[in-house]
Amino acid sequence: MVEKLMGLPRSRTVVHPGPFRPVRIDRMRDQKGRHFRLSLPGGRTLHESLVQALADEGVASASMTLIGGELAELGFCLALPDPTGRVLATYGAPHTVQGACFIFGNATLGSSASGTPVVHCHGAFRTADGAVRGGHILTDRTVVGRRSVTAVVTALDSFELRVVYDDETRMPLMRPQARRIHG
Amino acid sequence: MAEMRMIESGRMGRVAYARIAPNEDLVSSVEKLCLAEGFGHAFVRGALGSLVDACLERADGSCQVIRGPAAEIVSLAGEVRSQPDGSLRAALTGVVADTHGHLYGGPFVAGANAVCVTFEVTLEEWLPSPGNN
Repeated sequence: MVEKLMGLPRSRTVVHPGPFRPVRIDRMRDQKGRHFRLSLPGGRTLHESLVQALADEGVASASMTLIGGELAELGFCLALPDPTGRVLATYGAPHTVQGACFIFGNATLGSSASGTPVVHCHGAFRTADGAVRGGHILTDRTVVGRRSVTAVVTALDSFELRVVYDDETRMPLMRPQARRIHG
Repeated sequence: MAEMRMIESGRMGRVAYARIAPNEDLVSSVEKLCLAEGFGHAFVRGALGSLVDACLERADGSCQVIRGPAAEIVSLAGEVRSQPDGSLRAALTGVVADTHGHLYGGPFVAGANAVCVTFEVTLEEWLPSPGNN
């Protein structure tokens, strides 16, 4: 029997500048996530509030959903093809808008190789002129306004999320790693 | 037609985080992550990353292609369900931004959404109560 199939496009693939890494899914598991709800206050950056509130709870790695709120200032950038060809896609120049309504987003908290907290965040927002846009949110350049932003957090305690240099893409990327021994 | 069960009780179990590499398919990678971790059912708790091009299903079954690279996944919700034959099916739906920041939304078509640079996903295992069946 011949089945008639809806024609789906074969997805386009890309060639990164570095060597193919055979591991395609880096994964780690925790027996139980710890959950938190945060209310991120006005006048402070998303980065500062998230990092500090979670550090106070002993959380260094987490995955979260950001819900609503008002942004007095919003910093974001878009992913674009790299004109130099050094990497495949890169972030364009930072954009700043004043006064935006945050719709929702997702963020990951991890740390750099030296242990500095890193927040990777994508989100959707509505600007003052009513345009709805989205992209890579620069959390250290985004200041919460009069209405707080809510974060629903799943903390990952038994392993760490760390930004490491990825040879294949030539970019620093978040990966799960075994916990470092502290102290 | 089988009677549809409105409610399923249960609890959340383990949590898994993964980084999916370039050119891997979004939907099948989430299924593979569950297979690798032994999760029968799971909910997506957080996800962000980029696609070469995004492919979303329209109401008539055709595809809406949002050209990248890279199309950014701005937000994603979804679940993985174990099927009667033991296979796993991920149903993922979300919002993507094109290279101008314009937004599009809908269900991600399985097999048609290749990761561009990276995709980060956190899954929570869903453990239905035995009394459901």
